[in-house]
Amino acid sequence: MPSPKRFLVPGLLLSSVMSLAAGQEFLREVAETNVNRQYMIESVSVAGVEVDQLAPSKLPRTLRQRLKSLVGERCDVAMLEDLSAEIRRKLRFLTVTEHLSKGSAPDRIRVNFEVVRRDLAFDVSLPKFLYDSQQGFTGELDAGTRFRQNDFTFGVVSNGDDLTERFTGITARFDSAGFGYIDGSDRIRLGVAFEDYHEQWNEATVAALPGSDLDLYRSRWNVAPQLTFTIARPLTVAVGTSFEETESEAPNAGRQSANAATLDVHYGHKIEGDRLQQQVEGKYSLRVATRALGSTYAYARHLVSMKYEAKFGKHTISDEFSGGAIAGQAPMFDRFVLGSSSTLRGWNRFDIDPLGGTRVVHNEMTYGYRVGEGTVEGFYDAGAVWQPGQFDRAPATLRHSLGAGYKQGIFVVAMAFPVRNGRIESVFMAGMNY
Amino acid sequence: MFLDGDYLRVSLPHIDFLKGKPIERLKDGASVAFIGQVTITTSPNSISPIARSVARFALSYDIWEERFSVTKIGQSPESRRSASHLSAQATENWCLDNLVIDRSQIPLDKQFYVQLDLRAEDPRDQLGIIGDPGINLTRLIEMFGRAPRSPQERWLFNSGPFRLNDLKKTEVRGIRG
Repeated sequence: MPSPKRFLVPGLLLSSVMSLAAGQEFLREVAETNVNRQYMIESVSVAGVEVDQLAPSKLPRTLRQRLKSLVGERCDVAMLEDLSAEIRRKLRFLTVTEHLSKGSAPDRIRVNFEVVRRDLAFDVSLPKFLYDSQQGFTGELDAGTRFRQNDFTFGVVSNGDDLTERFTGITARFDSAGFGYIDGSDRIRLGVAFEDYHEQWNEATVAALPGSDLDLYRSRWNVAPQLTFTIARPLTVAVGTSFEETESEAPNAGRQSANAATLDVHYGHKIEGDRLQQQVEGKYSLRVATRALGSTYAYARHLVSMKYEAKFGKHTISDEFSGGAIAGQAPMFDRFVLGSSSTLRGWNRFDIDPLGGTRVVHNEMTYGYRVGEGTVEGFYDAGAVWQPGQFDRAPATLRHSLGAGYKQGIFVVAMAFPVRNGRIESVFMAGMNY
Repeated sequence: MFLDGDYLRVSLPHIDFLKGKPIERLKDGASVAFIGQVTITTSPNSISPIARSVARFALSYDIWEERFSVTKIGQSPESRRSASHLSAQATENWCLDNLVIDRSQIPLDKQFYVQLDLRAEDPRDQLGIIGDPGINLTRLIEMFGRAPRSPQERWLFNSGPFRLNDLKKTEVRGIRG
């Protein structure tokens, strides 16, 4: 059992930010009681300029549509506060506040979003954070800015959760302004990501390597341009390429590349009922590394996942299945791993397979019960990762784990237990956006 | 302080907390939250109260009618209580009327002191720090770097000593805080 002292700092940090999240819930409740909800919105302006009169370069298209759609609707002050936050975030203002004034008739009002500009238009954020009592800290720190509706993000990452390796380094990302408009989203978006990481390998991985045909690398970098198409509101398709190069730890191996064509398909659909809200989500990703793109590695990696979630009253149930297969020889960073903060929680990935595998199946069932502003959850994970032909090293065994946690907004704390014979060591996790 | 049936209530004829920044925000059509607390102690500087009443109020200002509306936010939607078409003074009094202490919590034979603490909650203090992109450190730094709250956003009143038997009694109004 890990020492309670190890949980103290992450626990205190998490409780502070969770109390901020609770405050936001209360303020939303306050906004919903506003007496001006009875009035109809006659016009909407930003910094005193009506939305229709604002130059296209000043306001993203999706935000413009949302603001225009307020006209003729009842005044929802909670929504106006959300829009103020969105304008501030997307246009990187210091403050944005909504101001209501009398309209041209006694049941109508005008809305103006008053803005205060920043001296420096940079946002520094902590988008992901995780403490795992087995794997230590994982986190990301980003600085972002926007120029003519194009987003630029620079980040530093240390991740010991997703792969067999801990990768630490820098990231940069460019996301263009959208082209075209469909169902409240941009029809086409261009993104280019750059990553440069240094790796740390676990002793178990190093020990299992001999005779495996796999290569450990000390660093890797990647450039990945991608075009995302919104086919319809619930369906997006992204196509791109990824030029990834690794620098081997073996003196004679030198640099190796995994240049690939990529495809990501995402489907998400919500069914809102009076008492029952359901959500269906499906994802498919394909990565084909080929020598035609100058790649040293040649392989095809498929990963599919499906999730169903239902909410009724205070209860939530969800089930998520994922399965993947790799044909050919993939580098370590593309091999499948179980035993992370989202798969077979409670298991140590190095006890399952320190090299990862080329086949994976995993299922996660969760039941949640809302308590106050958060949700108490119980979960059951089951999964297996293996490599055909290497069952003597790592047999394809179906493993199970159980756990419980508390979730509030983007924050979660959980304790997970592997189901196995012998000594059971629980894992404590506290994180955000995991 | 006065006794109203089984409840102890606070009465302040000139409390006047609807002023300054909160009233500016209200007249912009925004909602403003106030958190009120009445504590009863047996000595003037005690930090452990023998009785306490805490309530959260959501205020808004009707742009056309130019009158106030107030809701006491409870643990559940059913426990909410509201009033509308109020003047500023009537709104302040309504908030005080909804901060009551059960007289059974106060010892009959001891003197006690009363503290009323009212604070306006600034939504801009918190919104925007936590969202889909995680924790926005720029906004967190801006929040802590801001000048401290101006005194008119917090009101603290102390009075006493009182004895339960010496308090003025009024007819039962039937409102439970």
